[in-house]
Amino acid sequence: MFSMLMQSYVVTLQIFALTLLGSIPLGVLVALGRLSKFKPLAWLMGLYISVLRGTPLMLQMFAVFFLPYYAFGIQTGNNYKFTACLIAFIINYSAYFAEIYRSGIQSMPRGQYEAAQVLGYSRSQTFFHIILPQVIKRILPAMGNEIITLVKDTSLAFCIGVAEMFTTGRALVASQRTMVPFAIAALIYWVTCIIIEFALHRVEKRLDYYHD
Amino acid sequence: MTNSVEATHADASRPAVWAREVYKSFSGRTVLDGVSLKIMPGQVVSLIGPSGAGKSTMLRCLTMLDRYDGGTLSYGDLTVCSGDKGSCVYDRDAVKKARMHFGLVFQSYNLFPHYTVLRNVMDAPIRVQGRDKGEVESQARELLAQLGLSEHADKVPDQLSGGQQQRVAIARALCMNPEVMYFDEATSALDPKLTAEMHDLIRSMADRGMAVGIVTHEMGFARTVSDRVAFLFEGRIVEEGQAEEVINHPKDERTRGFLSMAED
Ligand SMILES: Nc1ncnc2c1ncn2[C@@H]1O[C@H](COP(=O)(O)OP(=O)(O)OP(=O)(O)O)[C@@H](O)[C@H]1O
Ligand SMILES: [Mg+2]
Repeated sequence: MFSMLMQSYVVTLQIFALTLLGSIPLGVLVALGRLSKFKPLAWLMGLYISVLRGTPLMLQMFAVFFLPYYAFGIQTGNNYKFTACLIAFIINYSAYFAEIYRSGIQSMPRGQYEAAQVLGYSRSQTFFHIILPQVIKRILPAMGNEIITLVKDTSLAFCIGVAEMFTTGRALVASQRTMVPFAIAALIYWVTCIIIEFALHRVEKRLDYYHD
Repeated sequence: MTNSVEATHADASRPAVWAREVYKSFSGRTVLDGVSLKIMPGQVVSLIGPSGAGKSTMLRCLTMLDRYDGGTLSYGDLTVCSGDKGSCVYDRDAVKKARMHFGLVFQSYNLFPHYTVLRNVMDAPIRVQGRDKGEVESQARELLAQLGLSEHADKVPDQLSGGQQQRVAIARALCMNPEVMYFDEATSALDPKLTAEMHDLIRSMADRGMAVGIVTHEMGFARTVSDRVAFLFEGRIVEEGQAEEVINHPKDERTRGFLSMAED
C-alpha cells in the first residue's frame, strides 16, 4: 500500500515540478502582455487572467481534456490525460503568477526606471538588471503561497483520472475499506509543504541583505 | 585630484549644453514658455524661482526624462532636438549619444538598493559604456575615496545616511565621466557642514572643466556656488546674470519680490 502511494507520489511531484517549470516563465509573458502599451494585447491578457482565475481549475481540466474530441473530433489516447492535466495546471497557474508579477512590477518606484534611463541602460538592461531582481524579492512571499497551494492542487488531477497520489489513495481507500491511505497521503503532502517552505525561507534569507 | 574628472574633454569655447527657446506644456497648460539656458564648460549655473515655476520640468527635459514640445536642445556638437515654438523633432540617435554627456543627481538619489555602493558606481560604466572592469573599479574606488565613502564600498544603500547616499549618487554619475552634471535640490537634505562640503565639491567639478546645472531653493547656496543664476518665473526666465548681481541686486520686480520673501 505504501509503495503504491509512493509510486503515485512521483506523479504528483512531476505535475508539481512541470507546472512550475511551465507557468513561471509563461506568467512573465502574460504579465508583460498585460502591461503592454499595445492595448488589444493588454486587453486580451486581462481576459486570459480573468477567465482562468474566475473559473474552477477542475472545469478547466475537463475543458482541456475533452476539447480535442468535442471540438475537433480527435480521439485522444490514454496518455493524453497527463498532458491535459499539465496544460490545465500550467495555464491556470500562469494567470495567478502573472498577477503577482504585475503587481510586483507596478510597485517599483518610477525613480528606479529614471535613474537607469539617465545612466543609459537600455530597456531590457533596465528590466533584467535593475527591475527584475528587486521584483523577485518583493513577490517572493506571494509566490510562496501559490507554490504551497499547488502542492495540494495537484490532487485535482484525480478528476480526469491521472494516477497521482490522491487518485491512488482514493482507490486504496475504496478497495481496502480503511482510511489509512488518506492519512498517509495527507502526511506526505504536509511533509512536502514543510520542505518547500524551508527552501523558500532559505531564498528569502538570501535576499534579505537589503531593504528598500 | 582625479583622472576621472579630468577626463572631461570639453571645448571651452562652445556650450556644454544649450537649450534655445524651449517650450513645454502639460495638457494645454504652458509650463515652459520659451526658455533659453546655456552652460559653458567650467561654469556653474543655478536655476531658481518660486514653486511651480517650471524648474524641475526644465531639468527633466534637459536630462531627457521628459520631452520639450518646442525649441532646440544641444549637448556640445550634438543636436538632440530642433524646432521652433510649436514643434520639435528628437533625433533618436542623438538622444542616445547625448545621455553620455551628462549626469544627474536626483533629489531622492534613486540608488539601486540591491547593489552595493561599489556596484552602484561601477555597473553603468561597465554595462552601458562597455569599459574594462579593472579600469572602472580603480576609478570608482578613487571617487569613493574622494567622497569619503571608502569604508562603505561594500554596504548597500539602505545602510547609509541620506548625505552619504547623495554622495554615492554623485560618484555614480561622475564615474560616467560626464561633461555636464545636474543636481536637483542639491542641498535640501544636508546640514550646514555637508552643505559647505557640497559647495566645495561642486566648485572642484567646475574647476576641472565640468559644466554644472543646479536647481535649488537655497539662495545663499546658489549665490556662493554659482557663476550665473537664472530666475524662472511662470515658465520664463525673467532675469539672468552673475550670481552676486541677480541675488544681491535683482533688477526685475518679480525677482525682487521672490528674493525678499526667500530672505525671511
Ligand atoms: N507630469 C506633469 N503633468 C502635469 N502637470 C505637471 C507635470 N509636471 C509638472 N507639472 C506642472 O508644471 C508646473 C511646473 O512644475 P515644476 O515641477 O517644474 O515646478 P518647480 O519650479 O520645480 O516647483 P518646485 O519648486 O515646487 O519644485 C506645475 O504647475 C506643475 O503642476
Ligand atoms: Mg521642483
